[in-house]
Amino acid sequence: MGRASSITRDPHGVQVNESDYLILSLLYDTLTVPGSSPIVAPRLATRWESSPDLRRWRFELAEGALFHDGTPLTSDDVVWSLRRLRESRIGVSRLPGIDVQGITPDGPRAVVVESNYPNSDIPVLMRLTTFVIKNGTTDPADTPGTGPFKLEWFRDGNARLVRNDNWFGGRALLDAIEVRVFERPQAMANALLSGAVDLVSNVGTVAARVAEGRDGVKIIRRQNDLAMSIVMRVADGPYADPRVREAFRLAVDREAMVKQVLGGYGSVGNDVLGTADPAFARDLPQRKQDLARAGALLDEASFDRSISYPVLTTEDVPGLAESATLFAQQMQSVGVKIDVVKQESSTFLGQSRGKAPLYTSYWGTNDSVIFCAGKLMLSDSTFNEAAWRDPAFDSAYRLALGTPDPDRRSQLTHDLQKIEYERSGYLLWGMAEGVDLAKSTVQGLPQLPGYGRVQLEQTWLSA
Amino acid sequence: MAERLKNSRTAFVAGLLLRRMALLVVLLAVTFLLVEILPTDAARATLDIEASPAELAARRIELGLDQPVAVRFLQWMGGLATGDLGVSARDRQIWDVVGQPFQNTLVLGAIALVLTVLLALVLGGISVLRPGKLLDRVVGSSSTVILALPEFVVATALVVVFALWLQLLPSVTVASSSGRPISSAMLVLPILALAVRQIGWNTRIVRSALAEQLPTPHVDSAIMDGLPRHRILVHYLLPGAIPTIAAGVATSVGLVFGGVVAVEIIFNYPGMGAVLVDAIRNRDAPLVAAVVALTGLMITVVLVASDLVRAWAVGRKP
Repeated sequence: MGRASSITRDPHGVQVNESDYLILSLLYDTLTVPGSSPIVAPRLATRWESSPDLRRWRFELAEGALFHDGTPLTSDDVVWSLRRLRESRIGVSRLPGIDVQGITPDGPRAVVVESNYPNSDIPVLMRLTTFVIKNGTTDPADTPGTGPFKLEWFRDGNARLVRNDNWFGGRALLDAIEVRVFERPQAMANALLSGAVDLVSNVGTVAARVAEGRDGVKIIRRQNDLAMSIVMRVADGPYADPRVREAFRLAVDREAMVKQVLGGYGSVGNDVLGTADPAFARDLPQRKQDLARAGALLDEASFDRSISYPVLTTEDVPGLAESATLFAQQMQSVGVKIDVVKQESSTFLGQSRGKAPLYTSYWGTNDSVIFCAGKLMLSDSTFNEAAWRDPAFDSAYRLALGTPDPDRRSQLTHDLQKIEYERSGYLLWGMAEGVDLAKSTVQGLPQLPGYGRVQLEQTWLSA
Repeated sequence: MAERLKNSRTAFVAGLLLRRMALLVVLLAVTFLLVEILPTDAARATLDIEASPAELAARRIELGLDQPVAVRFLQWMGGLATGDLGVSARDRQIWDVVGQPFQNTLVLGAIALVLTVLLALVLGGISVLRPGKLLDRVVGSSSTVILALPEFVVATALVVVFALWLQLLPSVTVASSSGRPISSAMLVLPILALAVRQIGWNTRIVRSALAEQLPTPHVDSAIMDGLPRHRILVHYLLPGAIPTIAAGVATSVGLVFGGVVAVEIIFNYPGMGAVLVDAIRNRDAPLVAAVVALTGLMITVVLVASDLVRAWAVGRKP
C-alpha cells in the first residue's frame, strides 16, 4: 500500500507508505531487527551490551558489511546515520532520551549510544528506523545501502530490487523483488487474485474472506498485528471517573467485536497493550461482558444516561469505523447512548486523536509492553492518547526501564501492566491479525506482527 | 474589410483566452482557500503521529504555514509564472510528483473522449436515421439508464465481469520502470469506465441535435431529391448540429476528468486522481493547486477549442 503524494525515499524521513518502508528495509540495514522472542534480533549490530546503569550501550558491528558500491561499512557511517536520524524532523520521538553528542564511534567496529536516563530498551529503539547510509551522504534518495537487496530502478513508488550477493548476512533467496504501489487494499487484493503479483501485505480481513478457499492462494495470518481500541479521556470529561471507564470495559462484548468487526481475523484484548511481548501478563483475568456490574458501576458514578455521547472514528484502518458502530450498539445494553461521528482521516488525526473524550484508535507496534507504555501512556508522552497521568505508572515504567536484571525487570513490567489494566484510558477490545495474501508457491514468508512483515530475505518461490 | 474581420477574430480569441485564464487564477485562489479551511494542516498531516509539539511547530515554520494564506498563494503563483510548481509537503519537487501521472491521466482522458465522440456520432446518427427502429429504442432507453450510473458503479461492474468472471482483462494497472502502465490492456477497463456514461449523454445530444435539423427546408429538399441517407447525415444534418454537439462534448471534458478520480483509484491507475486525493489528505495546498492548474489548463484548452468550433460552425451556417 502506498499513496502517490506521500512517497518518501529518505531512510530517515517520515514513512507513511508501506511500499516505501518495504523498499527501504530491503536496501538498508538497521542495527537490530524485530524478532519473536526475544523481540530484538541482531542485524548490523551482532552483539550489544550496556553499562551496569543502563545508560551507555555499546553495539558491535558485523564483520564484512559492505555498501552496494563495495565500500566497507565503518562505525563512522553508523554514527553519522544515527545522528542524522536524531536531527531529523522526527528525531526526538524516534530516539527518545538520546542526544546527538551521545552517539559516538568506539573504534572502527563499534558504536556507543548514551541515554539520558537508564534505558533497557535501547536495542528495541534501534530496530525499526535506524537505517544506515554512508557518512556524508547528500542525496539520501539514491544512496547505496548495505541491505540484502540492491536497487535496480525506482519510479513513482514502484521499484525493482535485485539480490545483493555480497550481503554480510548471507544470500537472500530471491533473485529479485519488484515492489508495486497500490492506493487501495481492494485493488491490491484484485491484483493478487488475478495473478498480477505474488504477494500482497496487509490487505485486511475483507480481502482475506474473498480469498478464502481460492485455489493457489494462501492466507498468511500474523497475530497481534494491530491493537484496536476505544480510548476514553482520563484527564477530564465524562470518562475521568475510573468507575465509568471500568463500566465501559465491562459493557463491551469483545468476542462479538472480533467476530463481526474483524471477521474472526483477530483475538480479544484485555486492555493492556503490547500483547506480543514475551513478558505480557497472561495471568490478569480476561475481562468479559458483565452488564450487571457495568450498570452498577455507572449508577455508582452517577453517569448521566439521559444524554448521548459522541464516539469519533475514521476509516484509516479496516474495521475501525465498524468497531465504533458495534460499540455504540453494545453500549445500549447498559442504557448508554453513543453517537458515532465519522471523520475524514486527517481531520481525525489532527482534531480527535489524543484530544476527543471518546474515540476509536489503533496502534501498530505491539511486541513490547514497555515500548507501548513509553509512547502512549506516560505522563509526558507526546502522544498520550488518553491524557492519562498516573504517577505510580510512570515510576513503574522508569523502574522497569532502569533494571538490568531480566527477571526483576519482567516482574516490574508485570506491575506496570497491572496498573494499566486497572486504570488506563484504554478499552483494548481486540488485536487484529495482519493478513497477507500470497500465491501458494511463495514460501518462507515473515510471520511477525507489525514491521516484521517486511523481512523478505528468507522468502523463496517453489516450482 | 477582410483585415478588419481578421482583427476582430483575433480579438475574439484573445478575449476568450483571457477570460478563461482569469477564471483559472480565481479557481487556484479558491483551491488554496479551501485547503486552508479544512481542519488541521500539512505539518500535522505529514509528520509522525507521535511528533512532539516542538517538532510540529518547527515543521509549520519550515512549510511556511505561519504565513497568511494569501502570502503563500501569491508566492506560489509567482513561482508558477516561471514554471516552478513548488515543493510538496513531503519535500518532493511538485513537478516530479505530478509529471508522469499527468501524462497518464491525459492519455486515459483523451482516449475516453475520442471514443465518446466517435461512438456518440455513430450511435446518434444511426438512431436519427432510423427513428423508432430497434437500435433507436435501445439507444434511447439505455442511454438514460447509463447516464444515471456513477463512474465507480460502472468501474466496479466492469471489474467483476471482465476481470474476475471472464478473466479477459486486467483489473488493476501496474506501472513499469517508465512510470506508464506495463501493458495497454490495462487501459481498456478504465477507459470504458470513464467513457460509458459520457457516450450515453453525448449520444442523446447528438441524436436530438441532428433531429432538430430534420424539419429544415434544405434537408427536406435533399430527402426529396432521394440522396442516400448517410450523405444527408454528413452533408445536411451534421453541419447545423455541430454547435450543439461541440457544447455537449465540452461539458463531457469536465465530467471525464471529474470521473477520473474515482476510476483511477479503483483500477490503481497511476494518474492525477490518486495524487489529488492524497494531496488533499496531506493538506498540501501547493500540490492540490498544481493538480488543479494542470487539469484546469487542459480543460481550458479544450473549452476554447470547442468555443472556436462553435464560432466557426455558426459563422458558416447557411
